[in-house]
Amino acid sequence: MRADKKTKLLAKQLFRLSLVNGQVSAEQVAGVLGYIEKIAPRHALSVLKLYHRAIQTEVAKSQALVEHAGAVSDATLQLIENAMSKKYQRPVTASARPNPKLLAGLRVRVGSDVYESTVAGQLTALSNAV
Amino acid sequence: MLPTLLAVTETAHESGIVQQFGLEPKFVLMQVVSFLILFSVLYKFGIKPTIATMEERNNKIADGLKHAEETQVRLAAAAQESAQLIKTAQQQAQKVVDEARKIAKDFADKQQADATARAADTLAKAQQSIELEHRKMLDQARGEIARLVVKTTEQVLAKKLSEADRAAYNDAATKELTAI
Repeated sequence: MRADKKTKLLAKQLFRLSLVNGQVSAEQVAGVLGYIEKIAPRHALSVLKLYHRAIQTEVAKSQALVEHAGAVSDATLQLIENAMSKKYQRPVTASARPNPKLLAGLRVRVGSDVYESTVAGQLTALSNAV
Repeated sequence: MLPTLLAVTETAHESGIVQQFGLEPKFVLMQVVSFLILFSVLYKFGIKPTIATMEERNNKIADGLKHAEETQVRLAAAAQESAQLIKTAQQQAQKVVDEARKIAKDFADKQQADATARAADTLAKAQQSIELEHRKMLDQARGEIARLVVKTTEQVLAKKLSEADRAAYNDAATKELTAI
């Protein structure tokens, strides 16, 4: 079922209430969920889905997923956190995930943005260029 | 005629000839009257119709001759006119035949030109298709070769890259990504 205009507006308002200083606040999110549970607005399920998607997107913007092949030191993760925080003008937390398919190098995903410097990526680019 | 006959009869009577031949004037007169009556009857019912018939026949013959002459003249004119018509018809027929030959020749030339153009077009399309197919095949071969090279390279690198190599590459990647 597609959400109507009022449902989208309510989900957007609830999402704004969940932010404190531009960051998602766990307490605010708990309060919003309690409000929804108590009031049970019209199309509550659609509102919750939209709200969940917005929170997920916002949280992803504050997290840098670092895929790597080979060892990555904490110092490296710290460097990436600092660089992304500076770029996006907000605190960004880096988390590492091993990915042997990359062969060597790093792939950093912040929200929907992807930064990559890997051997597998270069080989793929080479293959596409031929 | 009657006075002459009377005079002759009178002269013969006076000279005595009448008595010698036994002629009687009254019988002669009766014969003359009978002859006249007979002549008039013959003339009215025999001679006159015969003459009229002959004149009518002569007129018919003259009319026939005149009509024959006119017919001959008309026939000559008709023959001349028909000859002229035949000549004109022959000229027109020749003209039509020439025109038909010209049209047929033009049509054949046009058909030949169209066929030549179609053949050239088909040939060009076939050449283009062959060239396109050739390029497509080359692209496919190139892509397949590239895929195999990349896969082989990946397999080789996965085996040959040491942890030290990976760490060095990761450091370089970190510098690259943090410089964005």
